[in-house]
Amino acid sequence: MFDKEKLFLIIQREYLVRLRSKMFIVTTILAPVIMILLLVLPTLVMVLSSDHERRYAIYDETGIIARQMTESDSLSYRVSESDPSELREQLQAGQIEGYILIPHEVLDGQGNAAFYHDGSAGMTTTSKIRSDIRQQVRSVRLDRLDTSDEILAVINERVSVDNFTVTKAGEEADTGASAIVGLIMGFIIYGAMFGYGTIILRSVMEEKSTRVVEVIASAVKPFELLMGKVIGVAMLGLTQFLIWAVSGAVLMMAAGPLIAMFAGGGVDTAEAAEAAAITIPTIGPMVWVSFVLFFLLGFLIYSSLYAAVGSAIEQESDSQQLQVPIIMLIVIPIIFVMNVADNPTSTIAVVLSMIPFFSPILMPVRMSVISVPFWQFGGTILLMVLTFIVLIWLSSRIYRTGILMYGKKASFGELWKWMRQT
Amino acid sequence: MINTIVEFENVTKQYGDQKAVDDVSFQVKEGRIFGLLGPNGAGKTTSIRMLTHILVPDSGSIRLYGERVGAATQRKIGYLPEERGLYKKMKVGEQLIYLCRLRGLSKEAARKSITYWLDRFEATEWIGKEVDELSKGMQQKVQFIATVAHDPQCLIFDEPFSGLDPINSELLKEVILELRSAGKTIFFATHRMEQVEQLCDDIALFNKGKLVLNGNLSDIRASYGKNSIRLRFSGDNKFLDSLENVRINNRSVHFAEIRLLNGADDQAILREAQKHTRVEGFELIEPGLQEIFIDTISKEKTSDV
Repeated sequence: MFDKEKLFLIIQREYLVRLRSKMFIVTTILAPVIMILLLVLPTLVMVLSSDHERRYAIYDETGIIARQMTESDSLSYRVSESDPSELREQLQAGQIEGYILIPHEVLDGQGNAAFYHDGSAGMTTTSKIRSDIRQQVRSVRLDRLDTSDEILAVINERVSVDNFTVTKAGEEADTGASAIVGLIMGFIIYGAMFGYGTIILRSVMEEKSTRVVEVIASAVKPFELLMGKVIGVAMLGLTQFLIWAVSGAVLMMAAGPLIAMFAGGGVDTAEAAEAAAITIPTIGPMVWVSFVLFFLLGFLIYSSLYAAVGSAIEQESDSQQLQVPIIMLIVIPIIFVMNVADNPTSTIAVVLSMIPFFSPILMPVRMSVISVPFWQFGGTILLMVLTFIVLIWLSSRIYRTGILMYGKKASFGELWKWMRQT
Repeated sequence: MINTIVEFENVTKQYGDQKAVDDVSFQVKEGRIFGLLGPNGAGKTTSIRMLTHILVPDSGSIRLYGERVGAATQRKIGYLPEERGLYKKMKVGEQLIYLCRLRGLSKEAARKSITYWLDRFEATEWIGKEVDELSKGMQQKVQFIATVAHDPQCLIFDEPFSGLDPINSELLKEVILELRSAGKTIFFATHRMEQVEQLCDDIALFNKGKLVLNGNLSDIRASYGKNSIRLRFSGDNKFLDSLENVRINNRSVHFAEIRLLNGADDQAILREAQKHTRVEGFELIEPGLQEIFIDTISKEKTSDV
């Protein structure tokens, strides 16, 4: 069906020309930098803004809770010298950001503490205050009851929960923080579908508008040119991921010693490395393999759609109307991605993740959270392969007509007509 | 015996309701320059695209070297499309090697041939430049090299002279004649009649998808006889408008080609011209291609009615 030699030449050109392009070098470097910035920025902002003091004044009727809270966390709390009405005035005047009232009755198990603020305290702050007060009240009351140390120890004991997934094969894999990994993978694939899809669209469009396509078409089948392009760009994508993966791995290995360096001489390097490694969840090889697989199949499906659009237009501004359905297909799974991560076994998650247009984003998310039954995994792969074959066939029919049509902006009706042409 | 290189047999190609090429048959002989003529939209480009196997005919067959047109015959042709195109961001050398290799040349053979042709067009120093950096005329030359560098037996040029300045046109004409002496068959589409008269051995005339005239150019012209006048004069040319039973081509202030119709008398026209102007030249000639073209098409029209 294919002239292998020609196909290889086309793949080689499509791959090498892009590999050497400024665009590739820039995105390869910039994408991770932007990603890291997005991850680090919130923390950075918090750290930077924390030098402006945000201590809450506590007006305490019990005389003991506030003191203990201040002792245990003097950065967050201070004992108030003013009474509630003065505190309220200060808050309204914008002099303080918030204050806490602790009534006498809390030590008798009655009444509620109250937290007043100017609206700047978020969920994290509120829940921290709640748990701090709760803990101090509890400790004071236990103390009054003359509780023995043993009971105190029992009460203060923390039980941590290790997370294991048991597969049919009996293997246990820690799936601790891997929902995050799945989500990140889903978003990377989401970005990749747009990014690499646009590369295909532009490439087809440029060959058409520079008319070079007619020269090429007099030597190779349009289908060979299309496939060569799709394979070449897919390899480019894999190369980019490989570069990111390798540099990511190197960075992680370097992370331990680096943290140790910043933490100062007091911390043992090995210990620090261990601490750093804990924050990086371990991911089974299956998740990685499926990530690459779903990226590839997703790319193939979407690139056949993008190629059809590219062959119908001569300049990028004409592509918007035709691109709308593709963009919708890519965006829909993002709307559901959180639901699917939370309820990976629900019927809707299973169904959505098995629709070939949505699988590239949703399946890796599910696979990172639970172990997806084999029939679902295999079935999805099969569906995606079939979808690709049908789409590339339809798309190549649009393509071979579209690349020779000039002057008119094609509509959906036009594409339909080209598709049915013999 | 001369071999037939290209053979169209009852070829039809339709776009929607419109027949772009309608039941066309003709042959092209080896080592000749074959002119495909006709106004825009006559079916020239569609015919060429079918010959290059970019399009497939709805019915009929096209043969190249006796073989049905397909992937195998594509290697034997060099095609210069009417709308020129190269990869803009690719270097001239790399691009030419790529295009040659797509047509089956080895890397070494491609390099050798490209070196020869760049030298022939005095363009060797462009080899490392991106196409974008070249002027229009330079790009045309590169495109021409891309057409001939893989040494095809059959060359197809669609409007090869469009956009070339006179010096480069001359160079290209020279190269085309050189290729013919090297035994290549040349297929040449244009609507510029004077180029056809200068270069072509045989012609096929297209109008509205139909082949209306086909054969050896000098035979066709001879068959019309010397029924035209080439007249040079100085003075007022208004008298031309009052002549009857003539068709005037290539009319300018001091010049006219006059086709005699319905047995109009050439001597009467000469006398009329002398009455109004000073005649500087008067010659009975075979009709030009332009005249043959108009004549053929107007005959088509009357036969339609």
